[in-house]
Amino acid sequence: MKRFNIKIWQLLLTIALLAIWIYSYIANTDITNSVVASGMRFGMPLALAAMVGIMCERSGVINIGIEGTMLLSGFTGFYIASWSKNIVVGLLVAILTGVLTSFVHAMMTIQWKMDQIIAGTIINILASGLTSFLYKEGSTIPNSWPIFDIPLLGRLPFIGHAFFTQQGPIQYLGLLLIPAIWVMMYKTRWGLRTRAVGENPGSADTAGVSVIKVRMINVMIGGAIGGLVGGFICLELVGSFSKEFTAGSGFTALALMIFGRWNPMGAFAAAILFGLAQALSTQLQIFGVTNIPNQFITMLPYVFTIVVLAVSAGKVRPPAAAGRSYEKEQA
Amino acid sequence: MKKSFIAGIAAVSLAALGFVAAPANAATNDDSKCGTAGLICIGVVTDIGHVTDKSFNQAAWEGAQAGAKAVGGVANYIESNAATDAEYGNNIALFAAKKYNVIVTVGFLEANATVAAAAKYPDIKFIGIDQFLDTTKTTPNLAGLNWHEDQAGFIAGYLAGYMTKSGKTGAVVGLNIPPVYRYAVGFANGVAYAGKEQGKKFPASKIIYHPAGDNAFSDPAFGAANSAQLLSQGYDVIFAAGGGTGNGGLARIAKTKGKYCIGVDVDQWGTVPEAQPCLITSAEKLIGAGTADQIAKVKAGTFTGGNVYGNVGIAPYHTFASKIPASVQAKVTAITKKILSGSLATGVK
Repeated sequence: MKRFNIKIWQLLLTIALLAIWIYSYIANTDITNSVVASGMRFGMPLALAAMVGIMCERSGVINIGIEGTMLLSGFTGFYIASWSKNIVVGLLVAILTGVLTSFVHAMMTIQWKMDQIIAGTIINILASGLTSFLYKEGSTIPNSWPIFDIPLLGRLPFIGHAFFTQQGPIQYLGLLLIPAIWVMMYKTRWGLRTRAVGENPGSADTAGVSVIKVRMINVMIGGAIGGLVGGFICLELVGSFSKEFTAGSGFTALALMIFGRWNPMGAFAAAILFGLAQALSTQLQIFGVTNIPNQFITMLPYVFTIVVLAVSAGKVRPPAAAGRSYEKEQA
Repeated sequence: MKKSFIAGIAAVSLAALGFVAAPANAATNDDSKCGTAGLICIGVVTDIGHVTDKSFNQAAWEGAQAGAKAVGGVANYIESNAATDAEYGNNIALFAAKKYNVIVTVGFLEANATVAAAAKYPDIKFIGIDQFLDTTKTTPNLAGLNWHEDQAGFIAGYLAGYMTKSGKTGAVVGLNIPPVYRYAVGFANGVAYAGKEQGKKFPASKIIYHPAGDNAFSDPAFGAANSAQLLSQGYDVIFAAGGGTGNGGLARIAKTKGKYCIGVDVDQWGTVPEAQPCLITSAEKLIGAGTADQIAKVKAGTFTGGNVYGNVGIAPYHTFASKIPASVQAKVTAITKKILSGSLATGVK
């Protein structure tokens, strides 16, 4: 089974992007570094959120409640951090909240076999309502996760400055976590079982894999990552909770997951591409391109993403069992 | 008057059905004599959020209290629990039923309810904060209290022009709508003016707008990432204006040493405490003063209704008072006077 279905256009796109990167790096190193780093900042929360979707859907459970999971976790993480004056506790609570939220999703979809889209919608509505209702102005956390440079790596030529400087710990953690998920998904027994359960739960069951257990665990790991993203945004990237701070990124993440073909590295690449488009749009505004209306410039990342999607995506195939509850066949 | 009373009764019965909140602090200020001639009773209907929000609601409530004190009147508030015309309308009706004669509604979300209530209660004066009125459709007992955002932006930009070391300044803002545009372009013009005064040619201040979408003012990650992008390119004074989007920018700038940020609308020292390490000031709408001023006009009988403008300014420097040179502070005070008097135009259309 081929894991990297690299087609010719993908290769061309990658080469083109690399060429642009190298060219602009030579032309203006500082600005190029700044734009790439900014692309990482825009992209990482989306990439991690896409991991939530991948964890769930690879095992056959659709989770459109990513948005709600992030919102709830950011909320509890921030207020607990504010109350306990401890951002480590806050982050742990955020992750725990993510696990609990996804546990609810898992119970609804796996145990009670509810419609998975509706279950996710319930979580989104619940999160939005609950966090708005309980929201209180003026709370602060003692400090947010600090930004720092990684020694040595940060001084690497070309990629060092863009990837390993002036970011926070969770951003760096993402750089480890996403490849780790890829390895787990494709190189471990657990990954094989997960994919089997997502593609053909009947066969997996026959082979002695507990479909229910695998799904429950995967959805909850996904929830933990969702909680991490909520904590990431509220406790590191921004340092405060504001209502509806997720601003639709949970849904963007789902699109990126599809774009990345349910492959962790693919989704990561898609998220970074989207982030870079966003950073470039900002850079155009910084360059003061005034003969183009800014409404048009701010639209570019979306247009760019749609074009790349349309050109490159072709036919995508979700895990065959995604969205369907598993019923054991009667003996 | 009688009609309004009946409407009030209707509203109160609605309240009994559980639709509206009771006045939150009815006991703190005695309103039993409201309706007697000469007594000014002021009711503030907040937008969702509390009168302790360190933002619009609090400023309006403080203005109402100051206004009440100045005219020897009574002031009370009701906090709205939902951002619906029905909720606002019911809360207004509660005050109307108690014969309040000035009702202050806070924020543009309350505009529709306020316009409707003003038509319904012609004897009550309404002050709609941050509500730009279509005066062909409103009654003369309603004043929409607005501010010239470009003036506030200009003054903040002028200060930024004196605080920047690199000469590079920027603004990370919400959606490109008129008030945001006026803030941002006012800021850029203020920077340029300060540059000219110092005989320096600054590059034009960079304005980064959020793309259209209903998350334009609630996207802190966007504000943070864009601010970081500006910071990494040597921009050292950044105006972050636009609800949650701007606040995300403020918080991010605060994490980088030696950079300055400027808040918006109210003194964000209180609303975004995490921005304190960088927050030199905020481009401010003087909501409290504007509200108190309108109340004084009601008392004096000079209340005109229609669109009225309150003063703008910049918020206190707080701990930066010792870091901003006294000569710069004096210049900012002088330019504020010039701008407010109209002798210096902001150049924003």
